[in-house]
Amino acid sequence: MHEKIDSNSAIMEEYKQYLNDDADEAERRAAAQVMEGLAGLRLEAKVQAVAAERAALRRRIVGRRIFISLVALALLAGATYVIMRKVETPAPPPSEQQQEPNAPLPPEKTEEKKAVNPIAQLRPEERLPNPRYPAPETTMIRGDEDENKVRKAMLDQVWYTDYPLTGLKTSQAFVKADENLKKRDFTAAYLELERLEGQMANNDTLRYLKGYCLLEMGEGAEALANFDQIQGRYKAWESQLQWYRGLAMLLADDREKALALFKQLAARVKHPYRRQAEKAVGLLSQ
Amino acid sequence: MRLIEWLAPTNPCRQFDGNERLFQALKKLDNAAILCVQTKAMSSARKFVQQYGLPPDSADEVLNQGTLIFLRKIEDGGYQFQGHAPSTYLVEIIRLVALSMTRTQRKPHEALENHHDLHDPDVEAAQRQRESADLVRQFLGQMGEPCETVIRLHHIDGYSDEEVVRQGWTRYSTTDSLKIKRSDCMKKLIQIARLWRSTNNI
Repeated sequence: MHEKIDSNSAIMEEYKQYLNDDADEAERRAAAQVMEGLAGLRLEAKVQAVAAERAALRRRIVGRRIFISLVALALLAGATYVIMRKVETPAPPPSEQQQEPNAPLPPEKTEEKKAVNPIAQLRPEERLPNPRYPAPETTMIRGDEDENKVRKAMLDQVWYTDYPLTGLKTSQAFVKADENLKKRDFTAAYLELERLEGQMANNDTLRYLKGYCLLEMGEGAEALANFDQIQGRYKAWESQLQWYRGLAMLLADDREKALALFKQLAARVKHPYRRQAEKAVGLLSQ
Repeated sequence: MRLIEWLAPTNPCRQFDGNERLFQALKKLDNAAILCVQTKAMSSARKFVQQYGLPPDSADEVLNQGTLIFLRKIEDGGYQFQGHAPSTYLVEIIRLVALSMTRTQRKPHEALENHHDLHDPDVEAAQRQRESADLVRQFLGQMGEPCETVIRLHHIDGYSDEEVVRQGWTRYSTTDSLKIKRSDCMKKLIQIARLWRSTNNI
């Protein structure tokens, strides 16, 4: 043990008050050591308290870094999602127009179109990206392979389809079919829709889903039969339904009807599938 | 509002706009001031620990030991403010502490106690104070309550008598009765220390 007594005047002053009047040197040294020890304990306690604060501060900094990293990751993921959707989805917003079934389009909404290829008329920013998915393989005409290839190539260029269907809200009964359609497992979806048809034969949602499913399976005539049953009944469905009817006509090799319908759609300035229809008209007119 | 505060950049030195102000706060053992100089010196502590081949987790201990010596130097007047950043002096102490650990090759908490070859007077003084502190801790344990609490609250935790009475941390309801009891306890503590010293021929 060291004999040196701390010379801190404050400590010296303080310990004197605890000494007996007749305190000898030994008592003074003991008192000085006690005061030195207490000062040491006070500093230790202070440093320990600050160490706890430092640890809390460190935890806060680490927590904040994790939080900021997560937010940055979420923003990055969100931005990536938005960009990917913009790149991949040519699907238009729901139409604000309501159209009577099979009714001629109002003349004030039409525009005169030149006979030249309409795609060439579009400004670069208006040009459509290619369809996300190719057209389904259709029934081939035996012995006419070149024509089949041309037809498939043309369908691939206009196969602007999208699911979920615009404006359609499916109930709980269609969950399984809906999932399969989202996965583009059309065979499974068709089987499920067939099963549902036994329970709700006249359901319009079922008709629309089945028509879309058949369309993606390459069954143009059957798809068209389903679409025709619901045409003009629901404003929210109508624009997309018109486009899908045109595709179904093409699949069924009824080019003239399809061209006539696409011309009508292309002439409607606000029709959400106007640009797709213009492209189809251009291709079919060649 | 809490989230904004939580996200705000953390700078414990923000409230000290100059070295002198920081030094004055250190003299008062202000927690924020100690945290400020420790934050400034932490990277140096890590660097010395790495440089001298000490275990990486000993950086905190080196910093704490260095801070103890630093505060003691401020308290006893060994370190006076001369315009320089207090953290510069702390970094130099930390280097000495880290070096002493390297020489002894002991665990951090043993380094200052058991190293007799180190002649740095600051480190020696810190070692002596640490020994005295351990003894007093032992004596306080022997005394038991209420003396242990009464002495701890005033001499170690630094609470005023008014605060102790107001919070009701002891059985004494007036500052006068608290002071009388503490004086009595301190006299007992000194007698225990005296007996220990005589038993150990010191």
